[in-house]
Amino acid sequence: MLVEFELLQQAQRGDASAFNQVVTAYRRRILGTISRLIGRPEDVEDVAQEVFLRLYFSLDQLRTPEVFEPWLYRLTVNASYDYLRKSKRRPESRMSDLSEQQVMMADAAAGSKAQTEEGEKHRVRDTVQSLLSSVSEEDRILLTLKEVEGLTLRELEKIYHVSENSLKVRLFRARQRVLKSVKGVTRRRGNSASSDDGL
Amino acid sequence: MNNQWSSPPAGGNGGSDAEVNAHLDGLFHAYRQACADPEPSVNFMPEMWAKIEARQASTTIFNRMAKALVTAALGASVVMGLLSASYTPPPTSANDGSILQALANDHAHDLEPLQIERISELEQQ
Repeated sequence: MLVEFELLQQAQRGDASAFNQVVTAYRRRILGTISRLIGRPEDVEDVAQEVFLRLYFSLDQLRTPEVFEPWLYRLTVNASYDYLRKSKRRPESRMSDLSEQQVMMADAAAGSKAQTEEGEKHRVRDTVQSLLSSVSEEDRILLTLKEVEGLTLRELEKIYHVSENSLKVRLFRARQRVLKSVKGVTRRRGNSASSDDGL
Repeated sequence: MNNQWSSPPAGGNGGSDAEVNAHLDGLFHAYRQACADPEPSVNFMPEMWAKIEARQASTTIFNRMAKALVTAALGASVVMGLLSASYTPPPTSANDGSILQALANDHAHDLEPLQIERISELEQQ
């Protein structure tokens, strides 16, 4: 835990400075998680502020320190869901929507020595967000929490309040769908490469 | 930056399951590195506190309205209670009971016990 439980207790008693310290300790992590969950950099701060606002008004319900972080993650996930439902938007980048030629060009550009690291990162973001768009919003968030955020099944169990087995099944299915997309993209690339060889 | 993701399993069949799984893991790992936690803007805290205060203000107004409504409802209940306690019903007549009572009064003679002697008189007639 990034803060002491006493600090949380002070914040519970309405100490604004203690609450500020809690927010300062967690805000970067929460901003990062939200940015990976919603894929909209311009709205990340708004959603994060909503998370801390919900935390502020429900902090008095906290009884034990060990549930604080899963609870904060739960607030983050719920606020992200709400944002996605409200905006009905998906991340803008869609590598799979690009034409074969564009994919080839992107590959070539990324493969060249002149590529910048930022360009490479951008391409990774595009690819993963595009792959994750093949599953439902709920599964995308679950998969991101597990595979990208690195949360354990036990932590996810606390966040979602469902059994580990149900989570495993859901994660497996979501991953299978993403794998199918990966295979699709790879197959397309393979076919393009072989047709180029024939030219 | 981890570059293992950028060499996907090649081939027309899309690679074996193990290869594709490993490729996907590499992609997720690279994605985590590519999406570093962003720095909050300088306005993050002031905006957050402004939102908290706005929510608190709307909650206070709602609470006041709710309290006023509860007080009004309580006052109305007390007034109605006093009115019903002071109400005295008008004197009742014989027929002012229930509908069953009224029917019983109306057909009282039909309910008299049968007189055996009278039946025998009727038979003789």
